[in-house]
Amino acid sequence: MGHVRRELIKILYQKRTYFGWAGLFIVPFLITVAMRLSSEGPPPPEQGGPQFFELIRLNGSYVAVGSLVALVTFLLPLLAAMSGSQTIAGEAENGTLRTVLMQPVKRGAVLAAKWLVANIYIAIGLVILAVGSLIAGGSIYGLKPMMLLTGQTVGVGQSLLLVFVSYCFVLLAMATVVSLAVFFSTLTNSSLTAVATALVLVIIMLVLGSLNVFDFLRPYLFTHHFDAWINFFRSPVDWGPLRDAFLNFAVWIVVTMAAAWFRFTRKDILS
Amino acid sequence: MSESSLLPTRLDSCGEQTVVLSAHALTKDFGRLRAVDHLDLAVCRGDVFGFLGPNGAGKTTTIRLIFGLLYPTTGYVQVLDHRVPDQRQEALRHLGGFVDDPTFYNNMTARRNLRLFGEMRGGVSEERITEVLELVGLAGRADSKVGSYSHGMRQRLGIALALLHRPELVILDEPTSGLDPQGMKDVRELIRELGHQGTTVFLSSHLLHEVELVCNRAAIMNKGRVVVQGPVSTLRPVSSTVKVLTADQSKARETLSSLFGAGNIREDEEYLVVQADDELVPEMVRRLVADDIDVKALVPAFDQSLEDMFLELTARSEDK
Repeated sequence: MGHVRRELIKILYQKRTYFGWAGLFIVPFLITVAMRLSSEGPPPPEQGGPQFFELIRLNGSYVAVGSLVALVTFLLPLLAAMSGSQTIAGEAENGTLRTVLMQPVKRGAVLAAKWLVANIYIAIGLVILAVGSLIAGGSIYGLKPMMLLTGQTVGVGQSLLLVFVSYCFVLLAMATVVSLAVFFSTLTNSSLTAVATALVLVIIMLVLGSLNVFDFLRPYLFTHHFDAWINFFRSPVDWGPLRDAFLNFAVWIVVTMAAAWFRFTRKDILS
Repeated sequence: MSESSLLPTRLDSCGEQTVVLSAHALTKDFGRLRAVDHLDLAVCRGDVFGFLGPNGAGKTTTIRLIFGLLYPTTGYVQVLDHRVPDQRQEALRHLGGFVDDPTFYNNMTARRNLRLFGEMRGGVSEERITEVLELVGLAGRADSKVGSYSHGMRQRLGIALALLHRPELVILDEPTSGLDPQGMKDVRELIRELGHQGTTVFLSSHLLHEVELVCNRAAIMNKGRVVVQGPVSTLRPVSSTVKVLTADQSKARETLSSLFGAGNIREDEEYLVVQADDELVPEMVRRLVADDIDVKALVPAFDQSLEDMFLELTARSEDK
């Protein structure tokens, strides 16, 4: 736990940590204010629009869900990639990696702590996003019983629980991006290169997932499962897509982190 | 210097003393480049050991290998009973130091940095942190962010970190680099003091003068190989070099070439630099005077560059 505590201290001393969190806090306010000022709502679901957005005007609880819809494909992966890339490449860039590894520490333990703290950073970001959403949505539209995608209505308590579970799911989804960025972070001494490489891969997956000709690839692309959390808002919950998503995320996390561990524990530290 | 001392010292050279650090046929390749080439080295307990070499000689690569930052291509390092890289963690408990410029978290204070790295080792108290900061003259700036530190202050903080856990062996890579004259003097005195206290110090430097000032034993490295190692007093080459200034340098060059051979005479600004054994110097003066050449100055060339010395030592090694 000592490594985890020290890694937490390190990120808390960095200004960019707070910029990322501040961004996540502001987004739900922007969404809520935009909905308030907008005379016409987003396109209806049958035209491909985000169906949760139009429900925001009826119930502030949907801001938390709408924020996830808005951020899960870019801003959250961006923050996850940045967080993961800082782990090794960021320290190598600053030269502090060698100072750390000149202490009697296990490289594997250092890597595990850095991965965990990169995910904690995203988890705190998601908590901030949820809190910001509930404050913004609650203050303007109020928090009311939520209507599920299957038509049933659940109380405020259960709707908050569904929001919580959805955020936990997205945290796991972002852990795949963090793991990918950590792996790239072990391959380079430039955090920018690691971020860019991880993001390019995420974007390629998003593009591949959107093209029908590559539909045979979709089950293997982690980005394809990013929105599977929507299934929590059905009654009964549709566990099939969720199971597929959990399996996919687990495989990506294990494979990329095993590769990162293999690389990092054998890496010559030249920075 | 005896001929035998031109060869790397055997690893049993510590005699009754404990070998604190040794390298055994240590080799490191970067692609086709061989940065360290079958290096054998022995540092005895209590040594203040100078590790000399010009830029690019392989000193920093060797230190990275000692700290386990690099994996050797062949060979290994041993710190007391622990082999690096296999027993890197155990070895690092006995080591302190820095390689290249010391690096820290710029957003944190010096004290916070030392606390952070001290926690990785365990058993480092707040009192000890204050003590080492005082020792390197940073107590007054202990609570300033390292980002505001000058290069020299970072060097001192690097030394403070190196000493934090009272290691048996302190490895310092060019510790006086970037320091002002007073800072250099302070650091050298600190190294000498560590030596007196029984701490073994491994000092990497490209300054022969510095090594002569503070070290009792040294190794000279060039092109990845140890050219010579032994007591510092034996390191300078056998031949002495003198600088000669006369009223007629071209005529003097002819005279000296006939005496020592043209290959042993070269020009250095207005001087002629003559490679000559000590006992031949009086004869040199007699010949110049006999040829009616006024000798204006005769200066021992003690400031022979390290590079020149390497060339000479390397040439001798190759001759053998």
